[in-house]
Amino acid sequence: MKYEVFTNSKLKFKTMSKKSIYVLAVIALTFTACKNEKKTEDHHEGESTEMHDISDGHHDNEGEHAEENRNNEASNDKNSATSAMVDGYLEIKNGLVSDDKIVAAKGGKSLLNAFASFNMESLSKEQHSEYMEIVENATEQAEHIVKSPIDHQREHFEILSNDMNDLIALLGTEKTLYQDFCPMANNGKGAIWLSETEEIKNPFYGSKMMKCGKMQKQIN
Amino acid sequence: MKKYLKKIIIVLVIAFIGIQFIPRTYNLSDTIPENDISNTLDIPENIQLIFETSCYDCHSNNTEYPWYNMIQPISYFMEGHITEGKEELNFSEIGSYSNRKLKSKLKSIINQIDDEEMPMFSYTIIHRKAILSEENKKQIKKWVSINLNNISK
Repeated sequence: MKYEVFTNSKLKFKTMSKKSIYVLAVIALTFTACKNEKKTEDHHEGESTEMHDISDGHHDNEGEHAEENRNNEASNDKNSATSAMVDGYLEIKNGLVSDDKIVAAKGGKSLLNAFASFNMESLSKEQHSEYMEIVENATEQAEHIVKSPIDHQREHFEILSNDMNDLIALLGTEKTLYQDFCPMANNGKGAIWLSETEEIKNPFYGSKMMKCGKMQKQIN
Repeated sequence: MKKYLKKIIIVLVIAFIGIQFIPRTYNLSDTIPENDISNTLDIPENIQLIFETSCYDCHSNNTEYPWYNMIQPISYFMEGHITEGKEELNFSEIGSYSNRKLKSKLKSIINQIDDEEMPMFSYTIIHRKAILSEENKKQIKKWVSINLNNISK
């Protein structure tokens, strides 16, 4: 395709200087290149919808289920495979605690990598569909955290924290974590976050309200 | 120098004409899809109208195209915007979202409105009607909150 464009322009503009032809070729190439990139993206999108359809059966009781998990004692299974995900999440959290958007974005990347390299074969059928739903949502939040200013990062971190909490309840972790609650976040409705330290350090407000919040439970 | 300038202009004009032949895809559909918001959530007419006026051009399967969409590269950039917008949130496909995803999207609607990120400035600068009034914002946020509570139950 790229060659075609090149030869066409060559034929048409034989009389023009070499330089002009190059300029035109570059313009044409830029456009064809962009088009191609777009196509692969679309393809991916199709794939993810397909995956999504599989998990559709679980919709109705999904919300309920997640609530239940949150209220129950977190699963005590020690799962080392989730460590990379928890590490990525905590990197985001610590970035936000120190009002550092770059660290938070880096954590977002680590989390995306951890999701991508997780081996799903170890999951049971029921675990698999819930895992897919959680990770689909969490991935979107992480992608936004990678590319957004800090206020947005915090908004997406709030949603991500719920997902991570459910994920840990589903798969377990070998790490000791604390589930903390900030009554002011989420437009005053309150929101949870996970921390590796017992001491409260608020990621939703950072230095503005470092000590705001209370520990709700210990995981492991 | 003048000779070069002339050549550059000729090249640009030809390139401009050339790119007009890049194929366009249109984001248009005549049917209300099964997964449309109207089939999924209880949505009053006034809220539906606000969404249609301020959001649907980029967040549904139907875009109301302006005349200048006939011109490349405007059409090309617009297409990119629409694809990206629909990927983030598509009111025509909301029924296919998991409850978890739907909840996140509803929360993000409130956040985007509060942060005055959406409808975005580059869009409202042309589409003046799409600007949300304070009353509009209040209505949407109230409706979203009710639906968020319903999903949590």
